Amino acid sequence: MRKSFQSAAKTIRNLMSRKGVVFSVIFLGALSFLAIFADILGFDYLTQNLIESLQPPSAEYWFGTDELGRDILSRVVYGTRTSLVTSAGAVTIAAVLGVPIGLVAGFFGGWRDAVLMRVVDVMLALPAILFAMALIAILGKGQMAAMIAVGITGIPSFARITRAQVLSLRNRDFVTAVEAFGGSATYSMFRTILPNSWSPIVVQAIVLASVAILLEAALSFLGMGVAPPTPSWGEMLRTGKSYLYEAPYYAVLPGIILTLTILSFDTIGRAMTDFLEGRHELGDHSSVDAESEK
Amino acid sequence: MTNKIFKMFGFLPVVMAMTTGASVVNAQESSSDTVRIAVVRDIASFDPQQFVTGNFYLIKNLYDSLIEYTADGVAVPSLASAWSIADDSFSISLTLREDVLFHSGNQFNAEAVAVTLEKATDPERGRQLFSTMSVVKDWTLDGEFAISINFKNPTSDRQMLDLVQFLLPIDPAGIDTVDTIPAGTGAYLLEERLVGQSVTFRANPNYWRADEPATENIVFTIFDDDDSATAALESGIADIIYSGSSRSAIRLADAGYQIIKGPGKLTQVFRINSTRGPFQNQKFRQAFNYMMDRENILRIAYSGLGDIAALPWAAVSPAYDASYIEEFAFDVDKAKALLAETGLSAAEMNDWELLVRSRETDQVIAQIVQASLADAGLDIKLNVLGAAEWREDLLGGNFAAVVAAVGNVQKFPSRVSTNSIYRTSNNPVFGDPHPHPAYVEAIERVNTTVGSEEEVQAAYDNLNRVLVEEAFVIPITTYETGLIVAAPNVSGFTVDIDNMFVARTVVVK
Repeated sequence: MRKSFQSAAKTIRNLMSRKGVVFSVIFLGALSFLAIFADILGFDYLTQNLIESLQPPSAEYWFGTDELGRDILSRVVYGTRTSLVTSAGAVTIAAVLGVPIGLVAGFFGGWRDAVLMRVVDVMLALPAILFAMALIAILGKGQMAAMIAVGITGIPSFARITRAQVLSLRNRDFVTAVEAFGGSATYSMFRTILPNSWSPIVVQAIVLASVAILLEAALSFLGMGVAPPTPSWGEMLRTGKSYLYEAPYYAVLPGIILTLTILSFDTIGRAMTDFLEGRHELGDHSSVDAESEK
Repeated sequence: MTNKIFKMFGFLPVVMAMTTGASVVNAQESSSDTVRIAVVRDIASFDPQQFVTGNFYLIKNLYDSLIEYTADGVAVPSLASAWSIADDSFSISLTLREDVLFHSGNQFNAEAVAVTLEKATDPERGRQLFSTMSVVKDWTLDGEFAISINFKNPTSDRQMLDLVQFLLPIDPAGIDTVDTIPAGTGAYLLEERLVGQSVTFRANPNYWRADEPATENIVFTIFDDDDSATAALESGIADIIYSGSSRSAIRLADAGYQIIKGPGKLTQVFRINSTRGPFQNQKFRQAFNYMMDRENILRIAYSGLGDIAALPWAAVSPAYDASYIEEFAFDVDKAKALLAETGLSAAEMNDWELLVRSRETDQVIAQIVQASLADAGLDIKLNVLGAAEWREDLLGGNFAAVVAAVGNVQKFPSRVSTNSIYRTSNNPVFGDPHPHPAYVEAIERVNTTVGSEEEVQAAYDNLNRVLVEEAFVIPITTYETGLIVAAPNVSGFTVDIDNMFVARTVVVK
């Protein structure tokens, strides 16, 4: 166990040695902090001040005001809640459904693998945005619908990655040993293989988080996200686009925050991928070793 | 800072314009024999009785009315060269021009007018004209080029003329296919229609008005949105934007472009389904008269282009009464007092959603209204739907309340009943029997009062008072529809009473 912690600490140290990752973590941390404590910090996304509509950035309104005189910074902060909650929910849905599919397909192989992977192939063949829009047409609009729609579009990636991991581990000695001692298939899948497959799954979760934020923003941009006056970045981009001449900051500033958020998630995801690939090349399977020590 | 960012991103709409429908029109086609017009919606059909805003740029170019109105509302001849109204106010007799041919080459005559009237009286085929025809009893042919229209009751001159102005004769040979193939007498012939992309007209060589049309070709290019159309005008791809947004128009005017406004405004209203939930309570409905922040809605949603309104009428309407604006000015305290008198619980008063079209202007208005309601203690949610779903719910009466414009507010007052919410019978929102008999009686009184000016005015006053007391529609502002923004080298605009686009006199220098 101690070795696991040491391994995790070493991973974090390696990741944090990259400036991009440090910036990304700080940025996402600050954004999350603002979103969580927005009420306490006094952000007000709702109050209209119609006399002060479309005011440029100033000491009073750092990001300016929208067409209804609302503080754009406050709306960006609250929009973070919409994006992060939708993203977290979507990733959870995708992982909870996608990982077991990949486990079963990879572990049992045969017809189960063929059927499940063809279903996944069909899902992959559909463009995510169209698939999400079709689901929202069925489920109705709203944050929950967006979360489910984006989550379902993420299932194939989790299923594929998990299956690949299972295939690489399926015939390893420690798995065979568990089976030889009478371990059930469920035990082997969830207690033996899955704990040793987390790394790429976590990376995939981070990557999907950025995709989910982008997809949610795209749905809101198309008018299929949360209903006003609840803010979302995509909705702000959509409305701000109409004011590009009079108030370019309206669309540009939320757009920059959206871009930086996606970039941050992507940077962390890529760094973890690089690190894990490098570790695999060196034959460093710390978690496997830790499991074997038990 | 702002300017720098603008310079960085200002090219985007131009790029968007070039990648949408704009490619249909080659910039090199710019010459005096072609007028290029950017529009933001495709047509619904070629039927001149389908008076929907999407058709406003084709109706008066492919067809002619029997009479026309000037911008001041004065009737002038068109296909009917003369008319006379019977002393008993039961009929109007029309003398038709004899030198007019349909696009097919067929002769225009009284028979064609009769066939057009017959279509208008059919509930399925009459489209938006059907309800207007409810006052018509029948018609008689008085010769090949003369026809009389007879009314069920004594009818005011203005109402008769409104009907005749609304009639655009259709070629009897093409009346069954008029949805897809135009069959009019208009200044232009349909050259080509590319669905969702463009509509092209060429001059009618047999047109009856001397020296018209002034320009040989008219090309309407359909853009995805107002921003793209604006960019097309600024980049020289288009000469005119028709029916763009007020906000863009104001910005373009500041940059030296022309704005041409017509008298045919629409009125943005808060429609209430008085058969549902708390809206069955009259005082609850009346409270909304005081919860509309009209001045700010006009300023923000329409850039100040329009007028605030507490009645549905445009300023040129004979029933227009400015005193109501003051009487029903935005006053949350008055609204709260009325809400307190309703006897409804907070839960009952909040048990509804405001249906909103996903269009930006509608969302802005809805959010201002939502905030005003919150000030008065009402906490309601918005149900934002796309255009198709919204229209289905609107016309099917599937809403508690909705922000949606009404038209025909610049002519005879009872013409307002052509809007679904104002219908006196077969009302898709209220059903039958009509839950507001006082309103039905007021409309009937307006229709049948043909006495002195005082009597007519009294009928209008009664209708106005009934409208605010029944409060199933809360007017907010009038606004420009069919707004024209043109390059400085375009001239010769003919203003239409309904703000339809009239191309026959337009020239590009």
